Amino acid sequence: MKVAYEKPPSETPSEFGLSPKEKKELYYLLLKCRMFDERFRKLFRAGRFAGTYFSAVGQEATTVVPSYKLLPQDFIGPAHRELGCNIVRSPLKVIAAQIYARANSPDKGLSHPCHYGYKPANIITPASTVAGQSVLAVGVALAYKIRKEPYVALAFVGEGGTAMGPWYEAVNFAAVHKLPVVFIVQNNLWGESVPARLVGAFEDFSHRADGVGMPGVSIDGNDVLKVWETTAPAVARARRGEGPTLIEMKTYRWYGHSEIDPADYRPKEEVEYWKKRDPIPAYEKYLMGNKKLTLEEKKQIEEKIDKEIDEAVEFAEAADYGPVEWVLGDVYADFKADAPDRP
Amino acid sequence: MGRVITYIDAITEALDQEMARDERVFLIGEDIGLYGGVFKATKGLQKKYGEYRVIDSPISENLIVGAGIGSALVGMRPVPEIQFADFVSPAMDQIVQQAAKIRYRTGGAWSVPLVVRICCGGDVGGGLYHSQMNEAWFVHCPGLKVVMPSNPHDAKGLLLAAIRDPDPVLYFEHKRLYRSVKGEVPEGDYTVPIGPAEVKKTGKDITIVAYALMLVWGMEAAEKLEKEGISCEVIDLKTLLPIDKKTILESVKKTGKALLLQEAPKTAGVMAEISAIITEEVFDYLDAPVMRLAGLDVPPIPFAPPYEKFYLPTVDRIMKKARQLKAY
Ligand SMILES: Cc1ncc(C[n+]2csc(CCOP(=O)(O)OP(=O)(O)O)c2C)c(N)n1
Repeated sequence: MKVAYEKPPSETPSEFGLSPKEKKELYYLLLKCRMFDERFRKLFRAGRFAGTYFSAVGQEATTVVPSYKLLPQDFIGPAHRELGCNIVRSPLKVIAAQIYARANSPDKGLSHPCHYGYKPANIITPASTVAGQSVLAVGVALAYKIRKEPYVALAFVGEGGTAMGPWYEAVNFAAVHKLPVVFIVQNNLWGESVPARLVGAFEDFSHRADGVGMPGVSIDGNDVLKVWETTAPAVARARRGEGPTLIEMKTYRWYGHSEIDPADYRPKEEVEYWKKRDPIPAYEKYLMGNKKLTLEEKKQIEEKIDKEIDEAVEFAEAADYGPVEWVLGDVYADFKADAPDRP
Repeated sequence: MGRVITYIDAITEALDQEMARDERVFLIGEDIGLYGGVFKATKGLQKKYGEYRVIDSPISENLIVGAGIGSALVGMRPVPEIQFADFVSPAMDQIVQQAAKIRYRTGGAWSVPLVVRICCGGDVGGGLYHSQMNEAWFVHCPGLKVVMPSNPHDAKGLLLAAIRDPDPVLYFEHKRLYRSVKGEVPEGDYTVPIGPAEVKKTGKDITIVAYALMLVWGMEAAEKLEKEGISCEVIDLKTLLPIDKKTILESVKKTGKALLLQEAPKTAGVMAEISAIITEEVFDYLDAPVMRLAGLDVPPIPFAPPYEKFYLPTVDRIMKKARQLKAY
């Protein structure tokens, strides 16, 4: 299995404003994302919530790291595998409640599990239509530009989603107007069962930027510091009004498209290869090697996260589904829908 | 009794047999080849017919349909698949501006023999983006034909008829019926004509008109109502465009009462048109207002399980509405 861009975690990474404390916090967030995700896979299998579950295990670095240290006013347009953005910016309880579709979920249980969003976190609850939120992010960035505000929008999409016409329209317009947006393409090699080679006639999806006149870069998305070193300057550049950047992050989803997908279309060796390139232990090794994290601390962090997850699950499970009248609200601001022939 | 298979197997069989019979037929869509479709409707077909007769496309609905249309112009018989009806929206331009209008805008010189298979429908816990019934968008587009089977026999026969039709056909398949509905299906070649509706059950008190899941639930309600002494005639519309007025009007003339079932939101749905046809053409025969039971006028379908139940026109709600109509 060949990866076009391959580079081990840098020994002496430039700091880009990350203090030792922040590096540790980033570790905590990455681990929290992983542990939450693994727990919810189990809960889904145990039938504890309805619908389905889209795991993002293996892709923590590509969502957690770019979302870290943004301003509250910065906007995130996610797709369906951006748990990590929410882990950074939303309370765990809120995410759990959303998966359980309970009354205490921000969407009141109306939308779809794993389509996470939270207004206080400035993350729009996504539509499933892939690439849709990349278009919205461009609109948000346009507003920031018109109002001369120093804020940035992050637009997440999978490599599969970059085949959508609307995504090109968004990228093109952002480049023409130098909008403050960073496009993050998580290339996990597969869009459901369709391999990346049937989606783009190249290995590096950053080439998508070439034709629209935007800088594009491909990086190892499982290298935590590399992701930070690439996104932080791109965000800063956007914030300075110098325009958008497209960053392809090469990564891998360990499990099926959703929990009901056995993902048997992928070669075993490929899965094994990528599991060995797990972003979290590599980063952990870096931190420990630099005496920024001890085994004892790691244990404490894990315990703390476990407890947080327990509380989040309890919060979700303790709540009921919303009352059925909620189905009729939120269609319009000024009136409710009728409910003829109901209940 | 003949061979009994599921609704989805009937679809696979129709595709398989038509691909074997007519080498111009090819399929294009997301996850349909290697994976055999997210619901396995195209299982085994890429292996059997190769990568250029069962094409795994990128996520590009506009292209999936548009490339189909282009190939049809020069004599192919494309059957593109839209994985979920919810995601047909990116293909609207090609369907509405191209497929529906090419024969007309070329004065009949060119035609588009294309079938777009669209997987639709609720009662599957699919939430806002995996449950929609948006057939009415297309029923408003002269130039298209729109069909939706409710049983395996029609699923196969309508699909074969659609592929052989000289004009673009949108073939909606209801995912709730894929494996829950079984029925007799001839092994050989046959078609179910596009156009005619079918009286599935005769009755004298009320005419029920429905299609797809609502037809299945309408039949169930009708059987139960029979025991209460309410006799329903049930019509499976099958083709939503063009509409078979005759079958509907004849039935309503006999019963004097019409109950129209629709899974989609109520306003401006297919049944609004049926209602208008009935009141325009057989008003004098009506003993009661035409009644509709439909989905709610909210974005379909809200996810949480109690919400979905509240949204859907369930068997109980159909029975209640029929009693109300009978008593009118
Ligand atoms: C417009 C549209 N078409 C089809 C789908 C069905 N679908 C959901 S996710 C997906 C694959 C997405 O692949 P990618 O963008 O690479 O993201 P990943 O799932 O790998 O994170 C597909 C085809 C959809 N959601 N939207």
